[in-house]
Amino acid sequence: MREFQFARPGSVAEAVREADPGTAFLAGGTTLVDLMKLEVMTPGRVLDINRLPLRAIEATGEGLEIGSLVRMRDVATHTLVRRDYPVVAQALEASASGQLRTMASIGGNLLQRTRCGYFRDVSVPCNKRRPGSGCPAVGGENRMHAVLGTSDSCVATHPSDLAVALVALDATVRLRSRTGERTISLRDLYLLPGDTPHREHDLQPGELITAVVLPRLPWASHSIYVKVRDRQSYEFALASAAVAVRRERDTIVEARVAVGGMGTRPWRLAAVEAALAGRPATEASYEAASARALDGVRPLRHNAFKPELMRRTLVRALLELERTR
Amino acid sequence: MSVSPIGRETARVDGPLKVTGRAPYAADYHPDGLVYGHLILATVGRGTVREMDVSLAEAAPGVLAVYTPFRSIRIINDFAGRGAENYTVLQDTTVRFRGQIIGLVVADTLERARDAAALVTAEYTSTTPRTSLADSGPGTSPGAEQVLAPGVGSIDEALASAPVTITTTVSQHAQHHVAMEPHATTAVWQDDQLTLYCGSQGPQRHASAIAASLGVEPAKVRVIARYTGGGFGSRVPAWNEAKLCAAAARALGRPLKVVLTREQLFTTVGHRSAVRQTVRLGAESDGRLIALSHESDAEMPAVAGWPLMPAEGTSAVLYRTPNIRIDQRLVTLDTPSTWAMRGPGEAPGAFAVETAFDELATRTGIDPVELRLRNYAVREPLGGRRFSSKYLDQCYRVGAMRFGWDRRPRRPRSRTDGDWLIGMGMATAIYQGGRGSSSARVQFRDDGRVTVASGTSDIGTGAWTMLAVAGADALGLPVAAMVPELGDSALPPGGSAAVGSGATASTVPAVQAACRSAVTALIRAAVENPRSPFHGLDPADVRYRQGRVSSGRRSMGFRDLLRAMGVPDVQAVENTEGIDRDGPYAFQSFGAHFCEVRVHRLTGDIRVSRFTSVFDVGTVINARTARSQLIGGIIWGIGGALLESDPIEPDGRYAAANMADYLVPVNADVPAIDVHWLDHPDPQVSEVGARGLGELGNVGSAAAVGNAVFNATGIRVRDLPITLDKLL
Ligand SMILES: Cc1cc2nc3c(=O)[nH]c(=O)nc-3n(C[C@H](O)[C@H](O)[C@H](O)COP(=O)(O)OP(=O)(O)OC[C@H]3O[C@@H](n4cnc5c(N)ncnc54)[C@H](O)[C@@H]3O)c2cc1C
Ligand code: SF4
Repeated sequence: MREFQFARPGSVAEAVREADPGTAFLAGGTTLVDLMKLEVMTPGRVLDINRLPLRAIEATGEGLEIGSLVRMRDVATHTLVRRDYPVVAQALEASASGQLRTMASIGGNLLQRTRCGYFRDVSVPCNKRRPGSGCPAVGGENRMHAVLGTSDSCVATHPSDLAVALVALDATVRLRSRTGERTISLRDLYLLPGDTPHREHDLQPGELITAVVLPRLPWASHSIYVKVRDRQSYEFALASAAVAVRRERDTIVEARVAVGGMGTRPWRLAAVEAALAGRPATEASYEAASARALDGVRPLRHNAFKPELMRRTLVRALLELERTR
Repeated sequence: MSVSPIGRETARVDGPLKVTGRAPYAADYHPDGLVYGHLILATVGRGTVREMDVSLAEAAPGVLAVYTPFRSIRIINDFAGRGAENYTVLQDTTVRFRGQIIGLVVADTLERARDAAALVTAEYTSTTPRTSLADSGPGTSPGAEQVLAPGVGSIDEALASAPVTITTTVSQHAQHHVAMEPHATTAVWQDDQLTLYCGSQGPQRHASAIAASLGVEPAKVRVIARYTGGGFGSRVPAWNEAKLCAAAARALGRPLKVVLTREQLFTTVGHRSAVRQTVRLGAESDGRLIALSHESDAEMPAVAGWPLMPAEGTSAVLYRTPNIRIDQRLVTLDTPSTWAMRGPGEAPGAFAVETAFDELATRTGIDPVELRLRNYAVREPLGGRRFSSKYLDQCYRVGAMRFGWDRRPRRPRSRTDGDWLIGMGMATAIYQGGRGSSSARVQFRDDGRVTVASGTSDIGTGAWTMLAVAGADALGLPVAAMVPELGDSALPPGGSAAVGSGATASTVPAVQAACRSAVTALIRAAVENPRSPFHGLDPADVRYRQGRVSSGRRSMGFRDLLRAMGVPDVQAVENTEGIDRDGPYAFQSFGAHFCEVRVHRLTGDIRVSRFTSVFDVGTVINARTARSQLIGGIIWGIGGALLESDPIEPDGRYAAANMADYLVPVNADVPAIDVHWLDHPDPQVSEVGARGLGELGNVGSAAAVGNAVFNATGIRVRDLPITLDKLL
């Protein structure tokens, strides 16, 4: 770990005023401190934001607004989240471990870094960590890596489960910086790697996530998160699916579909959604629609199974969702 | 009346200390003036260190020394004395594998040592290392062993003559011990006497290895390893970090502590070799074996290490067959040193042969249990000796009953529960039993308690409690009256190391012998000491029973007797011999595993849903810790089957050298495990009849999982681990 300055701002205004490009905000620290110990992240300045008043969950006209410092566990156990957005509660419960969920915040979760083993090992090159140094994953051990949104510069998956659920729900994030406030779609927050994989999101230097807003979507109460992984707990997804469906009798009227473990960012599958709309709610429809998930996939040497696994995970999620009715 | 605690449920005597954090492990010692070391590891796979720039590190705050190959401390090669690695750390600039130690930074705090280490840069001249077992041809054979029936020219001929043949090739990458406690050493010199606190499976062996590396008399080194957070083989040798720590502490004249990071452990303290195996079976159509061939190619590091021999402890001793051949070859690679890991050869070996047997059962249509009974061995198929005691057939039958084996779907992929395919599989467990030499000291004390000491180690196995149980049994006293001592090289020489599942089987006889001698000594003192009420009596007229010494109507507890005599204690030390490994009997422990898995029909997720195992291990000393060992072994098998794997990259980098990427089972992966053992003391092994069981659960359990996965899905995965992508 490198030496750094440390401060503990008492207000949002103070936090964004103090933040400069070399600053990292410290929330739960479960990503940041870990990566600082590995010297993957070497911020000159750490601002502990835990004193900021960003810990409320409130129902508003727009939907449900969750302060960025609310802990993963507190969102997962919240009555309204569980009732109106089960996909969110389930995504969180399938994440990390009990201890980590108690420690880690929603804002930090959305900005957690990839689990690519080369990124986390400073003894090897990595374009994301050291721009221009190369990407050993492209020709190396890439079983866990992405098949969607990749580039020749970086094939790392976005690891957050929560983000997959939120992207399916069209969630937005409230941001605050020195220059003011703005609200953007979470989907737009994440950038594709292109040839600048070190630029992961659209935040300005020192910009703070203050809240996540789950928009009102009455049929999101009929939603599910299915996560497929090597180990039954405490492990990232090989494939995951966040699905919400609006049905009328036995027909699907509308659907929201996003997948995790597949993309360089949480991946919304509009083509699958379109293919589901108007179809009967049967396994055959799910099979047909999920085939559209394969549009544009780019498998690597060790993850050629991923597209098919994604397709099957979607079918499974749709079937399991059907059974929850 | 006291009831013998042997075989009963005795809670760990060290449990309260451990769960309250009061049991000091190696890194928990903080002697005055302590300084801290941090290692630097090579980042190329093979070559030489051309130069290292240590100037920034040396100038960093608190730094006391930076040792490199260019400015080293002298360490002597102890390879001949059973060291793991054939080179000597920091004595030359050669890099033999990626992750080799090339430096040690010492500073006044841990953080400063670590930060300074990050400032050291190294320039290498590197060449391409040999790392891939898959791309290597057959290795060097130390000599195949075979037995052929009269008139049979070769194993191939025997196989060719068989109506049914099976060829199974299985492979696995490196696996790591990942003991919970990272390796750590605290070295304290006082004058020319070294005390070394470290985890160790055999503190006395450790002390002599360290002494040899430092060029000092063995008596000058005392190793204290009272609590050791797991070993599994990785704490048998004294590794380089301990040698460097001791040498640097001497050079600096300060107590020094070196704790390895979790990542560093993956290349510095041994691992299980990557290995590829081919088993060929030739059988009659009724399943009776005609021939068995078991060949292996295992990674053998150029720097030396543990030779992985998977057939000699499995195929060579498992099934009756007129023709058998084993060939266990070693492939030289530029990888970190390997070392024995729980069921070192047996766990991979059993995966190979027990998978092949399942394939034979499928091919012949014979039930897997029945197939094994038809090939039941009463003698070693290769060695020809009889077993000391063997009830494996009962293990199969009792296990099948407890598990409900008769409900196994006969046809693969024929049973479902919703979206889950259900399958059942079984496999045999086998691991050498027996006992080695050992020693113990037993001491009656005038506080009414009895010290039971042996120079062995408790690596989490329950050895502390074993000493107490054995002493309490032999002396007819409560377990609570025993004061066990272990984990100290200064204890009587000849203690059993915690290796080969032998510590309990070896040590209990030594404790029993020492108890008998201590009783004799107590009686002798009682008749010879003028202040004793038994003074002058014929020792033959004086008896010891349940802590009391008596003769006629005179009777006195040993505490009061010692006090009356004015003697603080009476003690005896005994050494016991091991069984003759080349004697008339083959000593093996046995078991049968039964496993049920559920596999998702769409996504292939594998869940082990039930596990039943029945063992034949001779006498069980402590039911609670025995069950814990056996369950632990089975969980290793589940991990080995489904999770644990570390592929190596062409440059020598391990792809999963941390606990985020190297997956071991978590609770959610482990079902309730039903462990049962038969009660057949082994009359040949020792008076108490215990053969040992620490590794047995790990042998065959991975095959049981794999066989269940086949039964569930109809898919045979031969390259471990069995991950869901292989079942899509
Ligand atoms: C062993 C392990 C297993 C895990 N498994 C999973 C899993 O299965 N699924 C999953 O989704 N996640 C998993 N995680 C990741 C975990 O969820 C994240 O580490 C956690 O959510 C991060 O939250 P935090 O509050 O600790 O963030 P921090 O570590 O404090 O911060 C993370 C990053 O976000 C920045 N940041 C934090 N808050 C803000 C804010 N309000 N505004 C702007 N920037 C901010 C920080 O500067 C830092 O760069 C796992 C983590 C570990 C260690
Ligand atoms: S995939 Fe991305 S994060 Fe991983 S090594 Fe390549 S550039 Fe780095």
